[in-house]
Amino acid sequence: MAAASLPAWLCLQPGARALRAFSTAVSPTTLPGKAGPRTTERTSRLERPSRRKALPPRTEKMAVDQDWPSVYPVAAPFKPSAVPLPVRMGYPVKMGVPMAKEGNLELLKIPNFLHLTPVAIKKHCEALKDFCTEWPAALDSDEKCEKHFPIEIDTADYVSAGPSIRNPKARVVTLRVKLSSLNLDDHAKKKLIKLVGERYCKTTDVLTIKTDRCPLKRQNYDYAMYLLTVLYHESWKTEDWEKNITEADMQEYIWTNSSSEKNILETLLQIKAAEKNLEVTKEELLGTKEIEDYKKCVVSLKNEGDSEYTLSQYKESVKRLLNLT
Amino acid sequence: MAAAASARWLRVRCRLSLPLTGRWIGACEPAPRCRFCSGSAALPKVEGTDVTGIEEVVIPKRKTWDKVAVLQALASTVNRDVTAAPYAFLDDPYLTPTSSVESRSFLLAKKSGENAAKFIINSHPKYFQKDIAEPHIPCLMPECFEPQLEDVSEAALKERIKLKKVKASVDMFDQLLQAGTTVSLETTNSLLDLLCYYGDQEPSAYYNFQQTEKSEELEEATEENTVKSKKRAGQQFGVIWRAKNNAERIFALMPEKNAHSYCTMIRGMVKHRAPVEALNMYAELLNNRLHADVYTFNSLIEATAAMNEKFDEKWNNILELLNQMVAQKVTPNLQTFNTILKCLRRFYAFGKSPALQTLREMKAIGIEPSLATYHYIIQLFYQNENVSKGSSLVIYDIMNEIVGKKFSPQDPDDDMFFQSAMKVCSSLRDLELAYQVHGLLNTGDNRKFIGPDHRRNFYYSKFFSLLCLMEQIDVTLKWYKDLIPSVFFPHSQALIDLLQALDVANRLDMIPQIWRDSKECGHAFRSELKEEMLMLMARDRQPAELQEAFADCAADIKSTFESQDARQTAPHWPASALNCIAVLFLRAGRTQDAWKMLGLFRKHNKIPRSELLNEFMDSAKASNSPAQAIEIVQLAGAFSLPVCESLTKRVMADFALSQEQKEALGYLTAYDSDGDSSSDSDSDSRGGK
Repeated sequence: MAAASLPAWLCLQPGARALRAFSTAVSPTTLPGKAGPRTTERTSRLERPSRRKALPPRTEKMAVDQDWPSVYPVAAPFKPSAVPLPVRMGYPVKMGVPMAKEGNLELLKIPNFLHLTPVAIKKHCEALKDFCTEWPAALDSDEKCEKHFPIEIDTADYVSAGPSIRNPKARVVTLRVKLSSLNLDDHAKKKLIKLVGERYCKTTDVLTIKTDRCPLKRQNYDYAMYLLTVLYHESWKTEDWEKNITEADMQEYIWTNSSSEKNILETLLQIKAAEKNLEVTKEELLGTKEIEDYKKCVVSLKNEGDSEYTLSQYKESVKRLLNLT
Repeated sequence: MAAAASARWLRVRCRLSLPLTGRWIGACEPAPRCRFCSGSAALPKVEGTDVTGIEEVVIPKRKTWDKVAVLQALASTVNRDVTAAPYAFLDDPYLTPTSSVESRSFLLAKKSGENAAKFIINSHPKYFQKDIAEPHIPCLMPECFEPQLEDVSEAALKERIKLKKVKASVDMFDQLLQAGTTVSLETTNSLLDLLCYYGDQEPSAYYNFQQTEKSEELEEATEENTVKSKKRAGQQFGVIWRAKNNAERIFALMPEKNAHSYCTMIRGMVKHRAPVEALNMYAELLNNRLHADVYTFNSLIEATAAMNEKFDEKWNNILELLNQMVAQKVTPNLQTFNTILKCLRRFYAFGKSPALQTLREMKAIGIEPSLATYHYIIQLFYQNENVSKGSSLVIYDIMNEIVGKKFSPQDPDDDMFFQSAMKVCSSLRDLELAYQVHGLLNTGDNRKFIGPDHRRNFYYSKFFSLLCLMEQIDVTLKWYKDLIPSVFFPHSQALIDLLQALDVANRLDMIPQIWRDSKECGHAFRSELKEEMLMLMARDRQPAELQEAFADCAADIKSTFESQDARQTAPHWPASALNCIAVLFLRAGRTQDAWKMLGLFRKHNKIPRSELLNEFMDSAKASNSPAQAIEIVQLAGAFSLPVCESLTKRVMADFALSQEQKEALGYLTAYDSDGDSSSDSDSDSRGGK
């Protein structure tokens, strides 16, 4: 827009300050730079109103010690005229360099964190201190936090530019608790682990319950707490049919009343019977050291799997048992 | 940009462990002790349920804040960016406005676009019914401007009044009366309100009329028309209350009238400049033993002041009105006192002591004065511009009182305070006071009171001129970098003031920088500014690199002159500009450009100064070219300058000339000596020496 022709028109109408209705909008008396083809009289190239020139970028005027958070107070797209860094980005042509920052779409596409420099973050934290309360003095280590507050709830809030503040992802609630902080005995713990299935992580002993089936975060939180309560109570109860558990379902191998015990006892009794030694009973046999040893090796073999060590232990214990050493 | 922030809520431990104390029996049914609802205030302490039982975890009470408190806290960490244009504009070197005219037209264009969008939405509402905004944003939905109810009923009348359709509602009222239905008092009163507010015009026509009035107000605010506009206040602009218009007619038709009816009529009459009728209506009100409210009294004060009487009579009438106010047990508000002060402004010198009385009364009642109050007082006490011994010190008292206070908008004239205060500071030439005023502007939210564009420009122009005049140059330059052009676009006069301040402080090295900035502010074609710059640069000899910088600047200025030439049919180059540019080129050693300038002298028919010609002669001698020397003499001879003779002598003396050159020279001197006598007589008329 030719700057020189504007003042004349606007000065003639002092009332132009008020907002007019659309139908009487600002009249297009000033033509854009290319006035040539539109005007009736022939204007030569030289007499055409000159094209609007761009100002020099304002990085030239910026002081070296300026307040950068004031230049980029919020998340804003990358403005090459406002960022005084000679940034380059882009795949270079052969024997070339990456493109400069002016007009560089690549720099515009990526998110930039120019508004979150360490100085800015420090200032923000200072300002936000007023909204925070003090940390309880008694909770000065992680273990104490875990001890007093074993359940952890994770929620996420989403902010975006747009007409709606709702985001369906915000209803997700994740509840995490360590099973060691719950009061479970052996059976309860095994039952709980069976009930939750994949939600339990063995290495960290953490039960994670993630709920998103309700439309509101509050409802999902209530549901997660309800699930935890129900799991706890159910795992303490023992149903009648739990006695009928087969070996395949058991968490870990229990030797008592197992087929291995039966087998070894039968074998030993047969051996003893063959040796005409009928006085020994099952309980006596069970009490012997070799049987104990054998039991330990079988249990470790079954629970921990096959390895050199466990297999060699088993071999030794069998040999001792059958008096083969 | 979506950002996820995860919050970690710590949950109080459920009472699941068997306690040592044995208080709870039956571990299988523990109830969760503390429910953590998001809105809860305090969490109860975890009692000694820890296994250790030694420490107690005290959870402090959660703080609550309103919706924007966090944003406001974060906003307090950032300041204004001094190199950026105001945020309403696009931050791009091509799209930033370069003058105040441009910035106004950009903002108007933006607003015009918004209006256009609103118009489209309102004329085709069926396409804009889908609402994705959550929570609902009412102002983005299409508005319905047509009345829905078509029957002749009071509800239809109420609807038309709500939609502000003046003519339609008057017609509906008449139809109702003809049909014989009585309209309730409340509805009639609201119809009267509508008519009195808009002066019996449609709202759109009303605002068109008001524009002409506003433009007069603007002139009042600018530097020139301070005294004249006050005399013009009596002229009739804007909507005038016509006798026997619809409001009066309907008022007469009303079977019963209450105080509200009278009050609204009075206020309408005063608003549309019918003070006599307003006072008559007030007399009627009193005759019917009704009481007026405080807004009516405010209007009546205005009406009293608008009557054609002497000042002390008017003041007595106002006092009487106030007494009646007290008698009717109506408490005055801020507007009462502001109206009194506004009217006192027109009383000139007479109004000073009543104004102080008013102020005291205001404080006695306990009403906090607003910025408009102080503005009226300043206007009253500093009406004429001359700062002689008679000027009062009331501005200092005012500033002492309000420094550090944060104001909120209470009066439409609040935004005129800063302008008038800065005007007074400027006329008193008091920089400390100006700093105080500026400090007040920057306290809290007071910067909202700076007013529209022209007032802000006026304020900052005055401030900056005062700074250039009174402040040290370093501080002035700091302010310059701070204010220009991000806060206001300076007049060319402001830049000339700055140049003079630089001259006084011997900082002429800043001139090229100032020239670059003034190109950005749209002053590239102001000849006074360019001439001033060139004159300052060319006045003395400077060290070498500064001379280089000056020569570059001069070349740039020359190019602006040339481009200006190309656009206009009649080229005009000021003579001084030509002189200065040539001198600067010479001093920087750019002899080629300098000789081109000589050609320009002839082309534009402007006269070179004699010192310039001497300098050219020096440079010709330095480059030892007699041809150039002769050319100078020819130029001097073409303009018939008296200095031509001395130049010729010098050429003869200093240069080794060939025979033709001597002849040419001789011819010139012979020619010149004839014209010498005539040139002597009008040597005074040859300007530019």
